[in-house]
Amino acid sequence: MKKGRWVTRTGSSTYLNEALAVWIRDVRGEFRTRYAVNAILMFAVTTLIAVSFSIGAYRIEDAQKPFLYAVLLWVIIVFSAFSGLSRSFVKEEEAGTMDVLKLSARPRAVFLGKLFFNLTLLGALELIIVPTFIMFMGYDIASTGFFLVMVITAGFGLGAGTTIVAAMITQTGARGALFSVLSFPLILPLMITAIKGCERAALGIATAGWPEVRIALAYTVIMITVSLFLFPLIWEE
Amino acid sequence: MNERNQYSIKVDNISKHFTGNLLFKGISFQLICGDVLAIAGWNGSGKSTLLRIIAGLMRPSAGDVEIFHKGTPISKDERPFFLGMVAPAFSLYNELTGIENLAFFHKVRGLSYERQGCLTLLDRVGLTVEADKLYGKYSSGMKQRLKLIQAILHKPPLLLLDEPGSNLDSKGMAVIEDIINEQRLFGMTIIASNEKREVGYADRIINLSE
Repeated sequence: MKKGRWVTRTGSSTYLNEALAVWIRDVRGEFRTRYAVNAILMFAVTTLIAVSFSIGAYRIEDAQKPFLYAVLLWVIIVFSAFSGLSRSFVKEEEAGTMDVLKLSARPRAVFLGKLFFNLTLLGALELIIVPTFIMFMGYDIASTGFFLVMVITAGFGLGAGTTIVAAMITQTGARGALFSVLSFPLILPLMITAIKGCERAALGIATAGWPEVRIALAYTVIMITVSLFLFPLIWEE
Repeated sequence: MNERNQYSIKVDNISKHFTGNLLFKGISFQLICGDVLAIAGWNGSGKSTLLRIIAGLMRPSAGDVEIFHKGTPISKDERPFFLGMVAPAFSLYNELTGIENLAFFHKVRGLSYERQGCLTLLDRVGLTVEADKLYGKYSSGMKQRLKLIQAILHKPPLLLLDEPGSNLDSKGMAVIEDIINEQRLFGMTIIASNEKREVGYADRIINLSE
């Protein structure tokens, strides 16, 4: 393949380089259109404002705050993510670029590029939502380090889970509804773990060994590994 | 074995039907480097579908497509890197400029990217001045020219052209002729079209309406 006129790849070409090309293209395209960012942030900000005004920091008893705040935070993050992350593959189909991408890139490189892009979106979402939520709700966190790592690792899991579902629903009808229906059972164990972890972090008790963080990390690794095997089959259909 | 015989394609008894409706059946042919084949037929006869099957974008209902390099079949995973395709349904990225599109397809194909090299390619289709304009703001003819360049930038052994002349003026048609003539020296070309001029580039014609 490297001899003759048809030198289709350079010697230094790797999945990572190709995935980075997909990621950079998606980030650049999103920066110019702001379609997914707007969808996610509008949902997140309106939900956050609705929650903070209707519940606020004073309607919940102190003893219930660690658990309820963790639930509210993850409800906002997960459902905001659902509103925009499905776009990563759907936009290729709608714009008519899917076939050209299929004929140009290796499937796993595309998956990794899209995963990086969704993680970038989630990172931006968490960067805005988490501090705002803490500020609006007066969220006291005893173990800040554990809380931060929990939010980051659960974000990785959320990105990994939703990216493969986004690929699966691309060529179906009623994509938006199907994305939520398929993603929710997949994400639920992670969401419960993240809620438990954030509650523990707020209380500052029994955080030794960061068990929820390890579960979220294991979930992420399993989800990415399974997706890398599954994605080429989805991509070819 | 000389250069002309390094690549070949064998399309063996391909059939396609959608929900019980037969589109075409028993399509077989073989091409070697230098061959140009035209696929003609009425609208809806399955020209574009046949090209999609050859490209590996769609599964046939029956039959098989194999691309060979020095007699050895190329795996289906590798097939995209041995072909370039242009089709009316294809689009490049509207939110990227012409040259950014080329840069992306260079990188994602694992090719080394140089701006000057891309400008040379754009010059070939008369788009140098529009290099930094968003693809979404190109005219339909300009989009078609960029799609042609995107399809050949990795110098594929097999070039699939679905209605390549759509939206092109006489200068654009001259570019297509130039690309097909170059491809004739080093690779294989399959053109799906009903336009006399485009079909005229081919050595052989398969008519799906017959």
